[in-house]
Amino acid sequence: MNFKKIYISYRPIFLVLPTFIFFLVFFIIPVASLFIIAFDKPVTGVLALQGEWTLKSFLRIWNRSLYFDAAVMSLTLAALVSIITLIIGYPLAYLIAKTENVARNTFLMILVLCAMQLDMVIRLFGLMVLLGDNGVINGALMYFDIIEKPIGLMYNKLGVVIGLVQFSLPFMILSLIGIIRGISPSVVEASRSLGASPNKTFWNIILPLSMPGILAGTLLVFAISISSYLVPALMGGWKVMMMPLHVYQQVAEMGKWQFGSAIAVVLFLTSLLSVLIYQKTAIRIAGGRA
Amino acid sequence: MAIQYGHNVFMFDLKLNNLSKKFDELLAVNDVSFNINSGEFFSVLGPSGCGKSTTLRMIAGFVMPSGGKILIGDNDITYQAPETRNIGFVFQNYAIFPHMNVFDNIAFGLKMRNINKNEIIDKVKKSLEQVNLLGFENRYQRELSGGEQQRVALARVLVTEPQILLLDEPLSALDKKLREEMKIWIKELQRKLKITTVYVTHDQSEALTMSDRIAIMDKGKISQIGTPTEIYEKPANKFVADFIGISNFLPLEKKSYSGDYINVSFLNQNFQLKINEKINQEFSSAVLRPEHIIFNPNTDKDICILEGTIDIISYQGAIIRYIINSNEFKFISEFSNLPESKIFKEGETVKFGFDINNLVLV
Repeated sequence: MNFKKIYISYRPIFLVLPTFIFFLVFFIIPVASLFIIAFDKPVTGVLALQGEWTLKSFLRIWNRSLYFDAAVMSLTLAALVSIITLIIGYPLAYLIAKTENVARNTFLMILVLCAMQLDMVIRLFGLMVLLGDNGVINGALMYFDIIEKPIGLMYNKLGVVIGLVQFSLPFMILSLIGIIRGISPSVVEASRSLGASPNKTFWNIILPLSMPGILAGTLLVFAISISSYLVPALMGGWKVMMMPLHVYQQVAEMGKWQFGSAIAVVLFLTSLLSVLIYQKTAIRIAGGRA
Repeated sequence: MAIQYGHNVFMFDLKLNNLSKKFDELLAVNDVSFNINSGEFFSVLGPSGCGKSTTLRMIAGFVMPSGGKILIGDNDITYQAPETRNIGFVFQNYAIFPHMNVFDNIAFGLKMRNINKNEIIDKVKKSLEQVNLLGFENRYQRELSGGEQQRVALARVLVTEPQILLLDEPLSALDKKLREEMKIWIKELQRKLKITTVYVTHDQSEALTMSDRIAIMDKGKISQIGTPTEIYEKPANKFVADFIGISNFLPLEKKSYSGDYINVSFLNQNFQLKINEKINQEFSSAVLRPEHIIFNPNTDKDICILEGTIDIISYQGAIIRYIINSNEFKFISEFSNLPESKIFKEGETVKFGFDINNLVLV
């Protein structure tokens, strides 16, 4: 055995080694540290490991309805955003997938992607200009005497949902396009020829065959939404307290590293669990194909 | 076991009147007309891009014609939606629904017709029996071979008792041996059901073996319609003669007409050909099929005798093909490889000839 022989037989491992090291150092170790800290004795202002294992932080989360409510709200909002994004994104993804003209297709793709080009904060500021009490929409409605006082379009759940939908729409569309494009046109024609109207063909053939894309898209949007800090902070104005806000508050404002970490662990496990349940259910509904 | 399909269900003839389709500037189908009799197996044969698939897709309703009419019986279906036509379409890639098992695939058309559940179970079973796939109900597309998918696709359309069966190159994705089996199987099934069938292919052997009649298409137009025998033995023009089988095109110099005969010459040989009623007045050459060439011919008056050398021998088992060079004109000839037949060598000088009555002017 010489080095060359080892190199050749384990070549795939050598190829992924750089990525593996990067992930280990900059992802797994920090996240694992966070997990470990969550089980350490909570001491305000102390980050260093003390080695006194306790479930105190978790018991505190469990005993305060504030955090339970935050978890439920985060799940509900993330699920709602996934559904809205799917309903808005599917027709556009279908249109792009079925546009065969290269120039038009590229143009539509650029439209979708350019939404992702701008920095998140700038995009949210743009939304605030539109939705604020003195914003474009309220201003116009008041100018035409349709309303007397501004209606609350942001600094509430509505604003958070609008922000999250806006942010995650391109991810949903990109997840769907490839799958919809992969549906063979002759399968659709076969359905028509066998007596199914365009409507029936959509529900019986096109939609079930889009399931892998729907599953991937909704999971992605769900994960993005439930872990978003910036959107609830800016669009919710710290009034819609989704779980990442609590994590930030505890750690950055109060210096409670252990407690903040515990919230993060609960957030992670909640979203992981819901994703697993969703995936299992969806796969069973889709007949084991997705 | 008798199949429940009532014969009268399939008694429908199909008429295409001056059908055309323009894609942007391209005239893909140009003024195509034919009548297909009830129960007939009709093939549309041509090279890729000749418009045969577009023609079939217009009959199915997947493509709207730019002009002309399509009639089933006396019923004008030209602009009807595909789901209202009651036409069965078998795709080149079979188009099995990948998210449904074999049972649900075959039941699909019946469900769309709101047939009750027990009847569906009954019909699907009979249909599976017909294509020898009983026991495959719970399989998915990925668990089926190409030939099995093909049969599911056929069962799926036949179970809905369509008025017309359309097949779009259904065998081209199968390997050669299976293709030969399926040719016979499809033909037998079609004959048993007496269903009016349009079969699109670029493979002449499929068209010749299966069809009652064939339409040859070229550049969007019909070149000839006829039985396999007529198409092969009396090609209407140079395209058909070239496309079907192998042809030697003998360039002719037209000399003169004398009564029912025409005097022509070829390679300094003069001969008289009888003019038949269907002669193409614009003819410039004569078609000589390879199997009409004979070695060491006798000297009848209608035999044209030539001398040449064997350029290439190509051994193909049942037949042997010789390329014979005579005054720089290369003849392709084919002979059955019989036990008693003499096999020539390359470079050998041979005397050969053909009966001028076998020539077709194109």
